[in-house]
Amino acid sequence: MQVTQIIHAYKQAPWRVQRQYTGAFLLIVIGIAMIAALYLMVSARAAITGREIQSLRDEIIVTRRINADLEARIGDLTSTSAMQQRARQLNYRPVLPGELEYLAVPNFFVPEPAILLAAQDTTEFERIVPPEYTQSLIEWFDERIRLGGAQ
Amino acid sequence: MRQQYAIRSLFLIFCFALAGLSILAQMIRIQNSEQASVFLSQGDLYAGEFRTFYPERGLIYDRNGYLLAGNRTVYEVGVNLSDLNDPESVAYSLSVHLGLTYDEVYNRLTDFPDTWRYVVIQDYVDADVVASLQELIQQMKDVGDRRLNGIAFHPHFQRSYPEDTLASNVLGFVARDGRGYFGIEEKYNDLLAGNPVQVWVPSDPNKATEIPRVPNGTDLALTINRDLQARVESILDDSLAQYGAANGAIVVMDPHNGEILAMATTPRMDLNNYNAYFSLYDNGSQYNRVVNMAYEPGSVLKILTMAAAIDNGTVVPQTTFLDTGSIQIGGAVVWNWNRDSWGLQDMTGCLQHSLNVCMTWLSTQMGPSVFYGYMERFGLGRRTGIDLADEALGRLKTPGDSDWYIVDLGTNAFGQGVSVTAMQMLMASSAFANDGKMVTPHVLYSMLRDGHQYNVPSQHGGSPISAQTARTLNNMLANSLEAEASSALLPGYRVAGKTGTAQIPTDYGYDPSKTNASFIGWGPVDDPQFMIYIWLQQPTSSPWSSETAAPVFSKVAEQTVILLNIPPDNVRLALSSK
Repeated sequence: MQVTQIIHAYKQAPWRVQRQYTGAFLLIVIGIAMIAALYLMVSARAAITGREIQSLRDEIIVTRRINADLEARIGDLTSTSAMQQRARQLNYRPVLPGELEYLAVPNFFVPEPAILLAAQDTTEFERIVPPEYTQSLIEWFDERIRLGGAQ
Repeated sequence: MRQQYAIRSLFLIFCFALAGLSILAQMIRIQNSEQASVFLSQGDLYAGEFRTFYPERGLIYDRNGYLLAGNRTVYEVGVNLSDLNDPESVAYSLSVHLGLTYDEVYNRLTDFPDTWRYVVIQDYVDADVVASLQELIQQMKDVGDRRLNGIAFHPHFQRSYPEDTLASNVLGFVARDGRGYFGIEEKYNDLLAGNPVQVWVPSDPNKATEIPRVPNGTDLALTINRDLQARVESILDDSLAQYGAANGAIVVMDPHNGEILAMATTPRMDLNNYNAYFSLYDNGSQYNRVVNMAYEPGSVLKILTMAAAIDNGTVVPQTTFLDTGSIQIGGAVVWNWNRDSWGLQDMTGCLQHSLNVCMTWLSTQMGPSVFYGYMERFGLGRRTGIDLADEALGRLKTPGDSDWYIVDLGTNAFGQGVSVTAMQMLMASSAFANDGKMVTPHVLYSMLRDGHQYNVPSQHGGSPISAQTARTLNNMLANSLEAEASSALLPGYRVAGKTGTAQIPTDYGYDPSKTNASFIGWGPVDDPQFMIYIWLQQPTSSPWSSETAAPVFSKVAEQTVILLNIPPDNVRLALSSK
């Protein structure tokens, strides 16, 4: 009997309990809303980046086509017949064996053809995938915190 | 009062909950309704598209990086029928620019199945034609005229050969079906073409990275030296005209590693106009005579017979043979090329005077098993393995074959009754220039892919003779050329070689009026850096190789030493002794 009275003496008023429940509920709602907002923001950024990737891929296709055309054009301009014609216009003629002089050049090695040195690693570009596609939300949070909110 | 508020609150909560649940129930109902699949399929129409990615065909370069085969953009010109406003105007513009008739275009625009949404008017249209069309469309749009709406351009690649006919026999060509025909284009078609990939390309930007990368075809660098190839082709064309030959072939090879430096044959076609193929060639074997066509080589094969006899110990260079002008074998009589008897000759004399009787004697002294054993080890009757399409096999009859007779032992020894390709002769002879080791000829120098270069190593093709025999033959052949003051000689350089004049077999025996003139030679003898094969078909100015193919060898060798920077022997030896 004594114990019941003490509990009654310290029990919070019902309206305070109600407010605490309401507050907790609102806190949860706000938390969910914040996460939803963040998710929305990240999704929007990912979508924008994805769209940029799409357009960049299209640009790559166009650029590759232009490159191929330019390479073919260079091939035309430096073809044997074109070069011979230009040489003739400049009053050059094929050398005769008796006109050649051979000199010993110490430590000279015939260089590798340019084309064999110019091969490009095209896969390197493909490996650059935006972090938006590989980061989890927690990793993104972590990165933001480490960067102090800076972009 | 409090009780009343509580009831109102509960009522409101109930209403909101009911509304929420109703929305949820409606969402579930819609998603599971009969119409849901229709909506989903409608949505899928805009979710993306299946697209086939054709990788850019790999480029082909010569050994110094000059482009031999590239790609250029051409266009498929079509009309989106749903956007078409004025068929008459579109038909008129397209017919003028594309060289088609108005009726042809108009009928395609107006007479099509209901399900069609797009009509192709012409493919492989040049970029400059498309540019002028696009300019016209833009000009009309600028003034608000929409009559040309609907015209669409779809770019894609077409093979381009900047050198036109140069090395056409080596390169082959790519037809509109995208497949390579002949030469490198056919042999390495899979490598060059890459793999077309049909993929679902989503419109959803979040799935942008799901689109797979379609790698381009592999670029190839060939062993061909473009400048030497041009010179050799020019010499070949001049020689055909000078000697009245029907066709011909010239090959220049590095005998140390089997790299083909130049390979010219006739006729050659403009690879940008591959439709000319049908007017130039009767069959595929004519495309590249060096590789695709076997023939009876005649006396150039004597070097293999002599090598076999020396390597086997049947004779030494000083062994003498009394030539009486004829020899009997298998019931037939073999004569010398001029039917003369040449008296007492050593083995160098047999080569120098190209004596059929002496060679027949050598093969009979060796016997069939030894002689054919050597010929097989030299690779006769077997493909060389060169990386060009459709290599011919040639034919070496051997004892046991139903059509082999004992007389073949004699005639085969001087290159009659045996068919080889020029490439087989080069591969076999590479043993002389390479201390007895044959090399496998090849045209591919390296593959270039994703930043990596994969060089093609030289391949050992067997050792039919010893190094000592090879050196002996080198000297014998060089001495024989010098002794007869051959027109194959190249001032300043010691070269070795052998002529070959062969009658042409027909269904009724050998044609006495037509010959194949050949020459195989290499140099410098002490360190061979080039090996050249000449083949002139049916020269009319003279039937003899010594008067036709031999001087051509000298011309080709002259250009070869200039372009490969090979100094004269005295200069080279002086430089190397420093």
